[in-house]
Formats: sequence, structure tokens, C-alpha cells
Amino acid sequence: MKYQIVIAGIGGQGAVFLVKVLSIASALAGQKCLGTENHGMSQRGGSVSCYVKIGDFYAPAIDEGQADLLIALEGNEALRNIQYLSIDKGVIVVNAPKSFPTVDFETHSIDAFKKAKAKAFPIDALNVYMLGVTLALDSRFPFTCKEIEEAITAMNAKVAEKNIAVLHLGINDAKAKK
Amino acid sequence: MKQILMGNEAIALGLIHAGVDMISGYPGTPSSEILGNFQKFRDKNKLNAYAQWATNEKVGFEVAYAGAISGKRTCATMKQVGLNVASDALMSASYIGLKGAMLLVSCDDPGFYSSQTEQDSRSFAKFAKIPVLDPATPQEAYDMVKLGSELSHHFESVVMLRPVMRVSHAREICEVDDALHVTSNEGNFERNIPRWGAVPPAGRFRQGLEQIERLEAIKLWNWEQLIEPKTHQLKGAKVLCLTSGTGDGYVKEAVEERGIQADILKLDMPYPLPKEKLEALFTSYDKVIVFEESYPCIEEQLSSPKLYGKLTKHVHLIDEFSKDKVLLAFANAGVIEPSHAYQSEKYEKELPKRPPNMCPGCPHRDVHYAITKVFKKKKSIYTSDIGCYTLGLNQAAIDTILCMGASISMASGFSISDPDKTVVATIGDSTFMHSGVAPLINAAYQNHKFILVILDNSTTAMTGRQTTPERTNPNQIDIKRIIEGCGIACHEYVYEQDLNKTVGFMKSLQEAYKTATSPVVAVVREFCVLDKDNAIGRLGNVMVEVDENKCVACDSCITNYKCPPMHYNDAGKMEIDPFLCAGCGSCLDVVCPTDAFVKKEEK
Repeated sequence: MKYQIVIAGIGGQGAVFLVKVLSIASALAGQKCLGTENHGMSQRGGSVSCYVKIGDFYAPAIDEGQADLLIALEGNEALRNIQYLSIDKGVIVVNAPKSFPTVDFETHSIDAFKKAKAKAFPIDALNVYMLGVTLALDSRFPFTCKEIEEAITAMNAKVAEKNIAVLHLGINDAKAKK
Repeated sequence: MKQILMGNEAIALGLIHAGVDMISGYPGTPSSEILGNFQKFRDKNKLNAYAQWATNEKVGFEVAYAGAISGKRTCATMKQVGLNVASDALMSASYIGLKGAMLLVSCDDPGFYSSQTEQDSRSFAKFAKIPVLDPATPQEAYDMVKLGSELSHHFESVVMLRPVMRVSHAREICEVDDALHVTSNEGNFERNIPRWGAVPPAGRFRQGLEQIERLEAIKLWNWEQLIEPKTHQLKGAKVLCLTSGTGDGYVKEAVEERGIQADILKLDMPYPLPKEKLEALFTSYDKVIVFEESYPCIEEQLSSPKLYGKLTKHVHLIDEFSKDKVLLAFANAGVIEPSHAYQSEKYEKELPKRPPNMCPGCPHRDVHYAITKVFKKKKSIYTSDIGCYTLGLNQAAIDTILCMGASISMASGFSISDPDKTVVATIGDSTFMHSGVAPLINAAYQNHKFILVILDNSTTAMTGRQTTPERTNPNQIDIKRIIEGCGIACHEYVYEQDLNKTVGFMKSLQEAYKTATSPVVAVVREFCVLDKDNAIGRLGNVMVEVDENKCVACDSCITNYKCPPMHYNDAGKMEIDPFLCAGCGSCLDVVCPTDAFVKKEEK
């Protein structure tokens, strides 16, 4: 199995957290995993793009036209990274308002900022919410809900319950939208 | 056992498993997490090991080096530009050698993600004549830490490990030792004046001869242990790829995915290379292409008409590797037809740029704003330094950035070369301790007239809030007393989230400057908003909104103040993003010419 994920967002939104969760999930699923994160300068509210490569890979970065999935925590950051998606099979899961432009990829957009503003979940958990949306809508996503839940628990057991609740909120909102 | 590790965690765990029990260095992206993770693993394993930050990389190197000549296994960590600072010590240490072991970890940053230069530490190792190991993944970094430490002990030489950002900040499921198998060494400095105290010319000349011999022995070891065993796996293709570090991964993936007929030979130790033995391999190949990041370190050690690389302009000369660049090199060398397999269309419309910025509520923003407000741009030069406050560039509040500590020395220079302008230098507390003290003494020594503002948030914020000398030992080390020790009065301001007060302080400095004959030095006692211990009680809780009737969309706030929550809404009026606003309330006065920022509700 080979599956490549680009996670895009703004420094501080928790893209690195998702890299960690997905690498733990890979280990649980018995898959090889190579990921890469942004630290330092790029963390300071700037554009962030992290990569997760599951399966037999040797280089940590993802080239243009290669990614199976783009999880974007903000709309413009999705568009900024669109060239990384595979033309044939690339899927976008994005936090964006209805005005998100139509692009040549299977796109699942949800207005998570609106939900957070309505206090459906704390804004810190936006990353986990979008992971829930991904679980519900990306049919080729290589992990089960259970693996993701276990990975979230392994990351930080103390806040796992709250995070898993937000994960399911994301799953349910996405299913309702579908 | 298997463990999911980031590259820098893998290096830290490798150090523990290699029996390293003395580590020192200075933070710098992408190297910063090594020392902190070492502390974490040390505490978890209940080990007794020294792991502390030094004031700068040179100091860190020298601390670790003394440990190594006392017989201990040690390590110094830094980023590639930090190695420039430590280079004086390294160049001599390479002649002298050591007794225990010392690994020098210098992390590179191809693609300039967080660095001023793209310099290649492998080339620095070549310059210093020490062996260097170049890992491609976190697993290799872990393995090479252990190998490097052994090698250092065996050859009595400092050994460099050179991970790039894509190794340090990569994450991989790694196979690591289940438990500690190495016990750390007791330090015991044995007097040997001809060696440890060797002076030129005779002493160092003799050590120079030993250095040459040592390198020849390491070359042979490189061939016998690392390269020759791999040559049996070469399949007899017509093209040979010599790879190093992350270059190897990109080449492997591209060759596999595109079905390119080529052999790949990864050089784990890109310096020193057994030149003749390697070149003898070339006879059965038509072309040999070198894939390495970011300087032609391997290529410069070899000579053959079959060689294709950076020197021959077949491989890219600047920026991070990618598979697209690998294909381009293959095409340039005539191995494949030009290919766009790894290129894809960018989004067609222009997207708003999102550069890094200072956090909402960061005191640096107010200080930069106040400096440009009081010291008018036409009559001033703003020199600055390396840290979060460098992002004052977004506010057009900085004219020069060079390297650690240069804000002060360059202020000296400008005060001589362009004396009609007021030079205002800004430097953080950690950078001041790192490289700012000597320039300040120089300015006092030569009576250079400028204004220096030390932004003291008592942490190394940019790299992840590592400790600083005065934070750890507040009763011993104090910036104010360092300034006073130079015979200069220290203007102190305890920062408040009231921009009027910060502007008022800058006006007081302007007054002091009028009659000054030497540097006017100020320390602003700030805090980092991410530093919970220090920020507590000092962060505001004011929610700000925009009175749309007053906002005239003049751009003043987003040009001069540039706080992340500020943006234009669909109606073309300024709006504050409530998710981003820190509640400092600094923008309520001064920033808006029409007073459009108003208080909302208490948080």
C-alpha cells in the first residue's frame, strides 16, 4: 500500500499534531510511515505544509502531482498546495466556507470555523475535527476510526476523551452533509 | 524495539544509547529539539548526564570538547550557521584530536526554511578535515549517532553528523535498542602538554601530519566498512548514481517509480572519500551522477570525465531536493528524455501571501511600532538581529539583518559611515548573550553613538523557548548590570500592553540621545506570549472590535502594526478575528489614525 497525505494550514493550527497521530496510526496498522513537519520560523502564523507518506517510501517530502489526499485546515492553504495532488486520484478535505472555488479534484469542504464560532467545539480541536471529516468522506483513507482513536489516545491520554468526541462530531457533521 | 521518532528525537535517543553523557549546544532550527529530547530520555532512564544550553555554539563546542579530551563521550549540537560561530574551536580541535568521543551535530537547512544561508556542513567538515556522516532518515540518524560515536573514539577525531531539516523534522517508525548497552565513561583529564597545549609552529605541524595520516586511515575504513559491502548490490547498469543523505531517498523513489535503469550507491560518509577506489568503480559505467545537498562536497573530491553533478551544472545548485530535480538531472545528463512526471499545475489565481508573523499580543510588535513612530524613517537606520523580532520586517521596522549580534556592531559602523542618521539597533536577550556583549563593549570602547534596545523576554523564543542565562540564574546574570559594567547608563522599561507608554519610553531615549556621546542603551523587560510562566498576569483580556463607521480602510494598521487578527472583511472594512486576538488591547490607542479600534466585551 502506498498513500501520501499533505496537511496544510496556518502555524498554530495543529498540523504537526496530525502528522504525529497519522504516524502512530500507521504503526498500529502495521504500515511503514515517513512524515515531515514544520518547526521554527514556519510555525509563526505562516503557511504550513506537512507530509505523511504511508508505505514503502524513502524520501520524506512529497512531490507535485503525487498526493492521494490534501487535508487543509484553511481554504487558501488548500489552494496553495493543490499542485501536490495526484491528477487521477487526489482528494481534498478542506475547512472552507461555501464560497470555496470549484477545482478539478474531488473536494469535500466544510465550514469548521463557523461551527467553532457557534461553539460546537473549541477552535484548538479544529485539526481533530477535520480528521473526523476525512474519516467520513475519503473512501480511500487508509485508517479505521478505531486506529485513529487509539492513536489520539496514545498521543495524549488526558485529553483523548475530548478529542475523540470532536473527532466524532466531525464524522457526524460530514455524514449529515453527504 | 520499534518507536515512532522525529529525527531529532532519534538523534537524542541514539546519543543515550551510544553512552554519551555530556551534551552542550545552542538552539537553532532545525537542530533545537535534540538537546531537550536528550534531557527527556536521560530523566526517563534515570541517567546522570550533563545536558545544558551554552551561551553560544562556540562555547557549547568547547565545553563538549573538554569532556571528550577527558575521555568522556560527548556531543555538541547546533544549526549550520551556528557552526560558523563554533568553527574557530573546530578547526583547532581537528588537529589536536581527543581521547573519549565527540559527535558534532550540525543540522542543515536546504531550501532556507529557517536560515540565513544554505551552507553545507559536509563541506565545512571537509574544510576542517573531520569525517562526516549524512543520514537520510530518522532511522539512519539514530544508527549513525552510534556509529559516529564509535568512530570518534576509534580514530580520536571529532566526527560530524549532518542531518538536514527533512531528517531532523521527519518522523519515522524506527528500530532502536531495547535497553542501554553502553556505560558512560568517567572523565579523567590526563596531562599531555605537547598534545592538548600544542603551539605553532612545531607542535601544530606535527599534529597536522597526524591529521593527514588519520584521514587516510578513515578513508580506508570508509571504503572497507561502508562502501565496499554495498558495491556487491550494484546491478551493472550503465548509469551510476552516487547519493548522500536525503538525496538518496529522492533518487531511489524516482528511479523506482519511473523505471530508470541506474545503479545507486549511497555514500554514508561523504567525507573523506577513498577517491581512487571509488573512481575504479566508474570503469564499468558510462555516466556517474552525483546527487547531494546542498554543495558539491562529494563531487569536489572526485575527478572523472564521466562525472555529472553541480560542478558540471547538470544538477541544481540551490534549493531543496525533490524528485522533479532528480528527473531534471537525469535529463540534463542525457539519461532520460525531459520529464514533467513530478510537476503539476498550481492554483491559477494569486493567493494572499501568509508569511510568518509575530504572535498576537507579542510585545516585540509594540516596540518595533514605537521605534518607527518616534525615530522617523527618513532620519533613521534600524539594524536588527536574529530572533522572533526579525519578523519586525513585516512592519518595515528593520533595515538590516546579517547574523547573530550584528545589530550592535553594524550600528557602530553606520554611526561612523552615515552620522546624520539615528541608528536604532534591536536585539533579543538570548542573541545579546550569544554574540551581543562583545560588540557592546566595542561600542563603549570606541564611543559609538547609537541607540540599542535589548528586547528581553527571558527566553529563546523562536526556536521553542529554550532557557537563557539570566532566566536560569537571575541573581547572577543581569543584562542591566552587564550594560552598567560597560560604564553605560541602562534605561529600563517594564513593558506594558499600553502603546502610549511604549511610545513614551522611546521618546525618552530620543531625549537621551540628543546629548549622548556614546551608545544609549535600553532594556525592555518583555515576555513571550507562549511562555506561560512569564506571561501570566501580563496578558490583557480586552476584546477589540472595529467601529466600521470610523474605519476608512487606510491600511495604516496592517502596514505599521500588522497584528495577525487584523484583516479586511467583505465590506472592505477592517475586522478583528476573534480566534486570533490575544486580547492585549495595544491597538486601542495610537495605531489607528481614526480611532476605529474600540473595546468590545471583557473575555
